Amino acid sequence: MRPNRGLGFSSLAVIGAIALACIVAMAILAPWLAPYDPRLSAGPALLGPSGDHWLGTNDLGQDVLSEWLWAARASLLTAALVTIISTALAWLFGVAAGLSSRLDGAAMGVCDLLLALPAVPLCMLVLSIAGSGRRNVILLLALLSWPVFARVVRAQVRQLAHEPYVEAAQAMGAGRLHVAWRHILPGTLALLPAKLLTTVRFALFGEATLAFLGLGDPASKSWGTMLGWAFNDPLLFASQAWLWRVLPPAASIAIVVLAVTWIGTGLEQPHEHPAQLRRPSAAGRRNASRHQPARHAAQPGYGQRAPGTI
Amino acid sequence: MTRAVRYAGLLAGLVVLNFALPRALPGDPLDGSAAGGMSSATATLPAAAQAQLRAYYHLDQPILGQFTAYLSDLAHGNLGVSISRGTPVAQLIGERLPWTASLVLAAVVIAAVGGSLLGGLLAWKGGRLDRAAVSAAAAVAALPELLIGIGLALVFAVTLRWFPLQGGQASFPESGGVNAFALLADRLLHLALPGLTLTLAGLAAFLLLARGAVAQVRGAPYIRVARAKGLPETTIAMRHAAPNAALPLLSYSATRLAQAVGGATLGGAIVVERLYSIPGIGLLAFQSIQARDYPVLQAVFLLASLSILVVNLSADVLCQALERRRAA
Repeated sequence: MRPNRGLGFSSLAVIGAIALACIVAMAILAPWLAPYDPRLSAGPALLGPSGDHWLGTNDLGQDVLSEWLWAARASLLTAALVTIISTALAWLFGVAAGLSSRLDGAAMGVCDLLLALPAVPLCMLVLSIAGSGRRNVILLLALLSWPVFARVVRAQVRQLAHEPYVEAAQAMGAGRLHVAWRHILPGTLALLPAKLLTTVRFALFGEATLAFLGLGDPASKSWGTMLGWAFNDPLLFASQAWLWRVLPPAASIAIVVLAVTWIGTGLEQPHEHPAQLRRPSAAGRRNASRHQPARHAAQPGYGQRAPGTI
Repeated sequence: MTRAVRYAGLLAGLVVLNFALPRALPGDPLDGSAAGGMSSATATLPAAAQAQLRAYYHLDQPILGQFTAYLSDLAHGNLGVSISRGTPVAQLIGERLPWTASLVLAAVVIAAVGGSLLGGLLAWKGGRLDRAAVSAAAAVAALPELLIGIGLALVFAVTLRWFPLQGGQASFPESGGVNAFALLADRLLHLALPGLTLTLAGLAAFLLLARGAVAQVRGAPYIRVARAKGLPETTIAMRHAAPNAALPLLSYSATRLAQAVGGATLGGAIVVERLYSIPGIGLLAFQSIQARDYPVLQAVFLLASLSILVVNLSADVLCQALERRRAA
């Protein structure tokens, strides 16, 4: 049963990785691949797919394929930047709160408040006042997505801080920053893949959802903006135009997220098995069960923004 | 005691945030030219009218005076007047609330009950069906309301034409007089797809969670004892397994309710209402973005955060009570 399942997951992971690589490559090469300027009208409005316009044109006569390629750039760049900022914040606050009891209360208080905020109404309020440029969207999404993992990292750090090797390093007179960097940080890196995958998913959906609600960057269209503009057109479903206006952006968001999810499942598999095989002893099992709370905290129902549902 | 302090702190934080956010952010609600180049409806007013508006919203006072005015307005239930509609915001919200509340509550209850039963049953039976269902649920759980909603709309409203695509009820009811039953049926028909979207978005997580909880309980010694006693399978499942597996599901129900209300996962009722044009609070908020109607957006934010707070608090209390009972 085990090897069979493992093979099933890993083949899905390979498919996911290939799909993701293709879309990322197309996004990077968009300026060279796009046949038309996505901002300019390239023909009559609502033209069906043809040799000149592979994905037809939209209601302004813009070439949908070029629009899609440039939108892939905007969507993926936003997702990548949000993920980097959010991960850095989660580790910064998580490690600081885990090591310093003075910072702990304040950091966890901020976490509590951020987790209690309704994300969409907050984004609506903030972005309609401050403007919905790409920088603001990225900062807001990053700010909303770090607290869950800051808590997980903090729990892991607190547990690591009492490990004998950390206490030994402290007893030998190692500085606090040295201990944090050399002894604590490496122990938390096992959480990194989960955080990256969760946040990529959150950022991609978040950006798409906000753009769909009219809170995208008007200067650079993303897949969500394409959807939002299409659904703003009252005549969208009066013709077949939705086939090439709605399906490409919606399907590509779904494909990227499924690909990321499959890669994540594939990554988790080898990570868990050796640990179980290597530590059959009673001490090992006790150790493993002590790791449980940290992993549980990342599962639906334990954190407010459950990874499975983001 | 500590919990009371924590929630009181959160409440205070939310109220202050709701006051401070519009004032701390760059951009002037009456000018709007800083907000990404999009000017609000009030930007073209003459200076005297702008000054009058400024005085009306207490924006000419020092920040402390603004805060006390805001608190007293809040205490009197005065949420301001919508800029684009000229109606009191509280009245607007009151009109729209039934739509959103019924949609969200129905979807969360169906998802919680259906998902838990399905997941529990799958884990109890096990086998190939179980594994297939888990893969499917994991795929659906990875998708947001936006994509699920678009998919359902394209299949069932656009292609098959089984359900209406937009609106909360038929715009032009049939001339022969509308009885209450026909109106209800019409509304249910209109709410079917948006409700299904919210249900599906929540169902998968409940299914996975219930499956995990039941799988954990299934091998427990007391289940083996019950089986050894020769109890019928349904009695073991309902009397021995279900109560012990229910606790995480209950606390997740609160999380899911909060998500569906406020879009904690960046989806929720707002996206679904905008997609299907259901005249609830979400659509109101969407229309207010385009009109830069700050009083409405502020009220929606406050309402959503307060409901999340209440939901979380009640779930906390309930779970603790149940846990204490179980421990006793």
